[in-house]
Amino acid sequence: MQWGVYIHIPFCRQKCFYCDFPSYAGRENLMEAYVEALCQQIKIQGFSYRQKWGRPATVYIGGGTPTALPLENMAQILQTVENFIGAEIAEFTVECNPGTVDAQYLQMLKANGVNRLSFGVQSFDDGLLRRIGRIHNSAEALEAIRLAQEAGFANISLDLIYGLPEQTMEQLQASVGQALNLGVQHISIYGLQVEEGTVFARQQELGKLDLPAEEEAEAMYDYMTNVLPQHGYLRYEVSNFAQRGYESCHNRSYWHDVPYLGLGAAAHSYLEGKRYAAVADIQEYIAGIKAGDEIWKLEEEPTRQHAMEEFAFLALRTVEGLAARDFAQKFQVSLQEIYGETMAKLAQQGLLQVDDNGCRLTNQGFKYGNVVFAEFILD
Amino acid sequence: MQNKNIRNFSIIAHIDHGKSTIADRLIEYTGTLTQREMEAQVLDNMDLERERGITIKAQTVRLDYKGKDGEMYQLNLIDTPGHVDFTYEVSRSLAACEGALLVVDAAQGVEAQTLANVYMALENDLEIVPVINKIDLPSADPDRVKEEIENSIGLDATDAVLASAKTGIGIEEILDAIVERIPAPEGDENAPLQALIFDSFFDSYKGVIAHVRVKQGKIKKGMRLKMMATGKTFEVTDVGCFKPQPVDVGELNMGEVGFVAGSLKDVRDVRVGDTITFADKPAAEPLPGYRGVTPMVYCGLYPVESSDYDNLKDALEKMQINDAALVFEPETSVALGFGFRCGFLGLLHMDVIQERLEREYHLKLITTAPSVIYHVFKTDGSVLNVSNPAELPPQTEIEHIEEPFVKATVIVPNDFVGAVMEISQDKRGVFKNMDYLDTNRVMITYHIPLNEIIFDYFDRLKSATKGYASLDYELADYQESKLVKVDILLNGDPVDALSTIVHKDRAQSRGRQLASKLKEIIPQQMFEIPIQAAIGSKVIARENVRARRKDVLAKCYGGDISRKRKLLEKQKEGKKRMKAVGSVEVPQEAFMAILKID
Repeated sequence: MQWGVYIHIPFCRQKCFYCDFPSYAGRENLMEAYVEALCQQIKIQGFSYRQKWGRPATVYIGGGTPTALPLENMAQILQTVENFIGAEIAEFTVECNPGTVDAQYLQMLKANGVNRLSFGVQSFDDGLLRRIGRIHNSAEALEAIRLAQEAGFANISLDLIYGLPEQTMEQLQASVGQALNLGVQHISIYGLQVEEGTVFARQQELGKLDLPAEEEAEAMYDYMTNVLPQHGYLRYEVSNFAQRGYESCHNRSYWHDVPYLGLGAAAHSYLEGKRYAAVADIQEYIAGIKAGDEIWKLEEEPTRQHAMEEFAFLALRTVEGLAARDFAQKFQVSLQEIYGETMAKLAQQGLLQVDDNGCRLTNQGFKYGNVVFAEFILD
Repeated sequence: MQNKNIRNFSIIAHIDHGKSTIADRLIEYTGTLTQREMEAQVLDNMDLERERGITIKAQTVRLDYKGKDGEMYQLNLIDTPGHVDFTYEVSRSLAACEGALLVVDAAQGVEAQTLANVYMALENDLEIVPVINKIDLPSADPDRVKEEIENSIGLDATDAVLASAKTGIGIEEILDAIVERIPAPEGDENAPLQALIFDSFFDSYKGVIAHVRVKQGKIKKGMRLKMMATGKTFEVTDVGCFKPQPVDVGELNMGEVGFVAGSLKDVRDVRVGDTITFADKPAAEPLPGYRGVTPMVYCGLYPVESSDYDNLKDALEKMQINDAALVFEPETSVALGFGFRCGFLGLLHMDVIQERLEREYHLKLITTAPSVIYHVFKTDGSVLNVSNPAELPPQTEIEHIEEPFVKATVIVPNDFVGAVMEISQDKRGVFKNMDYLDTNRVMITYHIPLNEIIFDYFDRLKSATKGYASLDYELADYQESKLVKVDILLNGDPVDALSTIVHKDRAQSRGRQLASKLKEIIPQQMFEIPIQAAIGSKVIARENVRARRKDVLAKCYGGDISRKRKLLEKQKEGKKRMKAVGSVEVPQEAFMAILKID
């Protein structure tokens, strides 16, 4: 049985200006207790699913900043995973902030079964890095990746953001150039989105957020989606590019209806067709685990309609798209019957390529992904 | 009850001058309801009415009052709708009375609409009892108001009752004045029945219930009766009065006011102003003053979801059960699909119907801009009545067009006379008259196209006069005007539902304003959308909605699919409020854009 494990580390040294993910700065005093609770959850819940489904194909430790945890704490988590979920996981990723890792930390990760690193670099421009609240500069990023490679990591990903305030096309091209020179295996690109409650949102309200014009941001998108494949990083999902064979299995499992167990505060799980979210508050999480309380909440009624919609719009994020055979197999009804009209309309708009095997986004479709996905929400 | 002890009266008042509060106090004082039974405002019982502070459906209530002479009196209060749209309904309510309380705010004085209703009451030979309300206000000036009443209406206000409904001052005096000054009803108890219908409503148990005033004869349970205008016959199953809840009284005698029901299913059979008589031995002739329903304002109502067409039809039919003034017929629009062209008594009536359709029937609607009825004289000699601009024939087939004009009466403090004239002139109004009500307040009369009134005339008056202006209007006549149709093209395709008829001299500027307003309203889409305004084939204005460049590629954090779902659902929901016109998604409010330009 294929399944994955996600582990959430809700700590950061500093909250980035664009970030509205569940992570907290200045809560170092809770780390110890959090790791205790997390390990306990791994031992109980992780172990029970391991018993049920065998060793998972992927483990992903994300955040927040997992590497904001002191080395010993991280080692303890990795040990617990190895003992209760499994050793030699086929793809074991840890997200790293370049400002938080040194050679020793990286070697420790490697020694404990981690075989893939995802670096949040965002840009190689020092001015921009400061402007968006990152704790590292570009030299530190380059150094961290070099150290990771030295430590023996041969599957490294880095994240870049485009459409940052005051970002120019030249800055973006320079960053992409740097990224391509590093010989990493995987690159994710994200368009900046100003989310409620972030520093950027406040700056925007005050009129102090100078975002690139739409045309400029589009040009950046066009540049990246063109130049990355030219250098061997093929697009396999709306925001992910990888050298052949280095697509993230964990990432793909989200889009392809593979169950995953989320451990830690604010972690999301998808198990037996139901989606759950854990409590986001760190202290509540710790207390809940200690007391043996239910820390998960069912996120939505697992209706057949919701299942179809999610199956469709998640699969459509990938290059291979929505497979008619898989859909029919899962729902015992043809894709054509449920989405025939929708697909025809989107095909006519040039957003979708439709054939007997199913449908997938066109280049234009990738550009307006949300327009397409929203159409797959049924009435 | 002997008819010498019956008094039938209405209350005439401007909005906010305290009609409902006075009615409440009368009900309370006579013990018809205890304070505990009183809702805040008993008579306005529809939510919408309470929110807007206006009466849409008239109500009646019977009060039993022991007069100063020690005799018991039956006082029938016939409430009237308080808006210019419902002039005819008001006139029928007044025709059911022998007298009226004229309630005027002691601080604000006489308003245009009050005047219109008082004149109507005088035409019906009603005895008017002036009541100056809110005398407890620090700014109250009863003497000035008395003078205004005398100057504007020519009514002796010496004996006006000074009252404060809020504090209860003057309530007993009002009741005594009703008994002493309003005449008792007169008529022949033994003559063939003549009962005036002044309102009706639908009750799901009893069918249509008619509010009536018996002018001569009597109504008893079991009688076979007939509506003289519609010819509908029925057997009386219920006869009663409102206190204010319905009470069975078995019969209504000459002079009394109450209700009649009798397995009537369709409110259209029970027309306001119609006369009820015996089915077998009818009265020689009906009571005077009956008039069919004549809608003044039309608009198109379309379901956002075309699958809601039948639901909209059902809802309109249900509303019509209770509102004989609502007319509708199926209509097709190239842009909006299948819908209905609906006729209303006026703008408020239109607003109320739309809001009820959305609130009570949960329909998502697209409303096209309201239009009046144009008389189009074609070159081939035929005449068309056009209420939908899209149906205006090509310019070459039109000999000339006539549009409805109204007599608009505006009352303002004299500081604002200039502003009123400027706006009225700008609205193609022709000055008719100006009268001073007192040293400070002026009544101005204009002859003005109804089309201009339904745009933003009153809004503009209000804002130019700091809210002091009060407006009343009545249909005057049809006159020839130089009118043209301005079409709107989106992405090169004409959108029929956006066409509008305007005066030739302002077509150019209207076209420009409309195009630029639409540019604001229509959201960016995946492609550029040219907006054009045109008269015939001549383009008079152009705008462009730029293309949306791309979507944001947001991170799908840690498998949080529900968050993604919520975003997509929101997006889908937003789209639902739009109508696909060709390849362009157009939001609902675009079809009312013409009303929002300034």
